[in-house]
Amino acid sequence: MSCSCGSNAENVFLPKEAEIISAKKMTDTETHFSLRMKDGSTFDFEPGQIVEAGVFGFGEIPLGLSSSPTQTDSFELVVREVGKVSKALTELGEGDTMMIRGPMGKGFPLAELRGKDVLIVAGGIGLCPTRSLIRYIMARRDEFKKFTLFYGTRSPKELLFEEDLVEWRASDGVACLETVDQADESWKGNVGVITTLFEKAEGLDADTHVIICGPPVMYKFVIQKLVSIGIPHSNVFVDLERRMKCGIGKCGHCQINDKYVCLDGPVFRFSDIEELEEAI
Amino acid sequence: MKRCYISDEHLNGFVEALMGRGPVIAPVAKQSRFVFEKLETVDDLMLDYDTTILPPKVAFFPTKQELVTFDGKEAKSCINPTDQVLFGVHPYDIKGIAMSDKFYTDSHVDENYMANRRATTIVGSSVQKHYKHAFFGSVCMEVEVIGHDMFLTRVAGGYVADVLTDKGEALLGLGQFGDATDAQAGEADQVNQAAMENCPEKLENTSAQIRDKMRSSFRSDVWEELSEDCFSCGSCNTVCPTCYCFDVQDEWGLDGVSATRCRTWDSCLTAEFSEVSVQGGCENFREQRAERFRHRFMRKAAYLNEQLGGPACVGCGRCSGACTADIANPVVVINKIMEQ
Amino acid sequence: MAKVKCAWFDFASCEGCQIELTNYGEPFVELLQHIEIVEFREVMTEKTEAPIDVAFIEGSFTRESDRAKLERIRDRAAVVVAYGSCATCGGINALKNHTDDYKQEVYGADADKPHLDSTKALPISAAIKVDYEVKGCPMDKDEFLGIVQQLVHGTAKVYVPSYPVCVECKRRGTVCRFDEGDYCLGPIAQAGCGAPCPADGIPCEACRGMVQDANQKSMEKVLMENGKLPERWAKQKTRMFTANFREDA
Ligand code: SF4
Ligand code: SF4
Ligand code: SF4
Ligand code: SF4
Ligand code: SF4
Ligand code: FES
Repeated sequence: MSCSCGSNAENVFLPKEAEIISAKKMTDTETHFSLRMKDGSTFDFEPGQIVEAGVFGFGEIPLGLSSSPTQTDSFELVVREVGKVSKALTELGEGDTMMIRGPMGKGFPLAELRGKDVLIVAGGIGLCPTRSLIRYIMARRDEFKKFTLFYGTRSPKELLFEEDLVEWRASDGVACLETVDQADESWKGNVGVITTLFEKAEGLDADTHVIICGPPVMYKFVIQKLVSIGIPHSNVFVDLERRMKCGIGKCGHCQINDKYVCLDGPVFRFSDIEELEEAI
Repeated sequence: MKRCYISDEHLNGFVEALMGRGPVIAPVAKQSRFVFEKLETVDDLMLDYDTTILPPKVAFFPTKQELVTFDGKEAKSCINPTDQVLFGVHPYDIKGIAMSDKFYTDSHVDENYMANRRATTIVGSSVQKHYKHAFFGSVCMEVEVIGHDMFLTRVAGGYVADVLTDKGEALLGLGQFGDATDAQAGEADQVNQAAMENCPEKLENTSAQIRDKMRSSFRSDVWEELSEDCFSCGSCNTVCPTCYCFDVQDEWGLDGVSATRCRTWDSCLTAEFSEVSVQGGCENFREQRAERFRHRFMRKAAYLNEQLGGPACVGCGRCSGACTADIANPVVVINKIMEQ
Repeated sequence: MAKVKCAWFDFASCEGCQIELTNYGEPFVELLQHIEIVEFREVMTEKTEAPIDVAFIEGSFTRESDRAKLERIRDRAAVVVAYGSCATCGGINALKNHTDDYKQEVYGADADKPHLDSTKALPISAAIKVDYEVKGCPMDKDEFLGIVQQLVHGTAKVYVPSYPVCVECKRRGTVCRFDEGDYCLGPIAQAGCGAPCPADGIPCEACRGMVQDANQKSMEKVLMENGKLPERWAKQKTRMFTANFREDA
């Protein structure tokens, strides 16, 4: 009368092995990994989706993919060292194996963004998951209209993906605006919180579609600014973080009221969650 | 549906035949309470139990379950089901199992749960004694009792055995079953109806009324008041047949190389459940005990109704009895919210 | 791999945790292969002043004169592990913390002997920086081995939950003490032990300390109403292992 003899393929908790092609330290706490699946398969995903990345004996943590799916020979993740799992991941180097499950969740609404002006507001490490979309837009520039990036960090030392920034700044039809909370001698750009960039930006109008990803405190102030431009909450998308133990809508850890970040998100239309007290 | 009958004198023989085929998990006495445990002898079987400390899903979803092992080189699945019989499950708990089945198969199939679940034959049984806090007669009425294979109802001199599936049918050969007479079948229906009506506690409103009121009471101060004595101990979650949340932790082998990834039943009432490291800091999205207390009730009475077709509470009353602070009783809490 | 140099020290305690350690059997023997014991009062007498990798400290800090000793251990040791309730939260010694006449009560005629002088019983962390704590009276074996394993093999920090003992107790399917007409401190007690006491039919006395934000007011109420303890008892109950956690400490 039964049944499954437990083949590996059926176990949703069984991770796949990915080989680390390169591991670069970006700042004191962030490491940038480039990976490929050991079984030779292409890792298919949408910008904004997440994976569970892990090391056995330590555990798994959810991470947003930071490369574009248009790049098919490898995929990229950024690990910020905060706890025991992220520390173990950070200690991995080139040639080592990282355990990966995913991709999971719903990414950025590509279909809705196509043919629109897009503004991405990224604070701190929020640039990592949004980079998957930025690079996607860069790779398919003609599918999107005007593209604006706001990127803010606490200090110039914490700027991530500087090579990308150089490229994005130089691209046509792209407005790349950066700011730091606290400048040093090297910094020539804007100083102040991320909302100060709204005064410098041009051509943002009510039909602009906006993606926000950053520390929770940032959301409220950015959204206030958007409202003053006339951008409705339904055109705003937020990328949220939760502790995720399963990534498949079972463990309950990522619940925000009645939504699951791992299934319904991590990218949410702001108008769908603004009433949820536990969201931001 | 086929309706059979087995007399008292033949019941033990049937259970022993089941035990001869594989493990039989059934209610047995433990001090003043009952628990679902593997039967060692048929004499331990307590079909007149009121309710058990933990729900019967322990049979296929143990409180701690290995998911994946790692020998230092390669990861292996820990899915390894054993054919077994879960015996003597009350109707409200059968509903609870059907709900877990749904949670663990909707959107992604959790084979670590389902493989064990499929290897389990479920024999239900009628409620012969009510737990002091039971209210299954007035909650979750829109959800059917389904998913079990056979159901035994206590009648004069024996049990009416309803056969519901092929797995149930296959059990008939193991006992001295005859056809139930119309009188026996009628008596069984009455017994089950009476069990619903005689619950010691009762909700006064429909699921839809409760759901709407719950949602509109989200910001009410009443949650603060209701949860003042809460210990954040999660007992109300742990004993609940419809709670399904879990935590995942890795454990090292003594060699310091091998490791096992395990999941453990978790409770949203504990403070650490909703902690998350965000942007390097630690945030708790339900920091106050009132928020966590409210979350459980929202989950039970509002959030999951759509997915389940009814509330995620089957009225077993376990949480009411498990709460040492005496504040978790859904009947008291919901009736209070409804009065607001 | 070079063996890890370990030393054991004890302060105000019953030394039960050291005995517990030698009771570990197999895992203790396995452990011995990776460590070199340079000082261990229970099993050897040789002492050194040389640097040590890991100092294991048992017992509470209850004499100002011990501060210098503890500081010397801290200077010598790369890692300090406090183990057992006495060392991690003051333990049962803190039972005296709210009174001044404990000596009279305990020692009677001998109360004036100078070596009995002490101040409040506090955790080791009140005197020096402690890197790891192993809670419990006696300390928890798995937690201890997990930490040592981490120090020896460089494996991950053992997960110690922050919730109350009831969580682990319920998961075991134990009959609640309150259902048996007894009392229990499980609702405010720090978990991690696996709730062995209620499973053995005795109340949890919170030997691992209290959880953060323990609802002490509710506990008193429950001890009286459900545990049927007289008010005076209900109010004193948490002095046994958790005096330092009390709101009046
Ligand atoms: S909420 Fe309480 S009464 Fe309802 S199913 Fe869960 S334990 Fe039973
Ligand atoms: S009530 Fe809490 S623990 Fe139970 S299923 Fe819902 S979220 Fe999970
Ligand atoms: S409601 Fe009761 S059982 Fe639930 S966490 Fe609070 S004190 Fe514990
Ligand atoms: S016996 Fe103690 S620890 Fe166990 S559930 Fe009851 S109060 Fe909690
Ligand atoms: S159950 Fe309580 S008294 Fe017993 S070991 Fe655990 S914390 Fe200590
Ligand atoms: S991460 Fe487990 S439910 Fe979302």
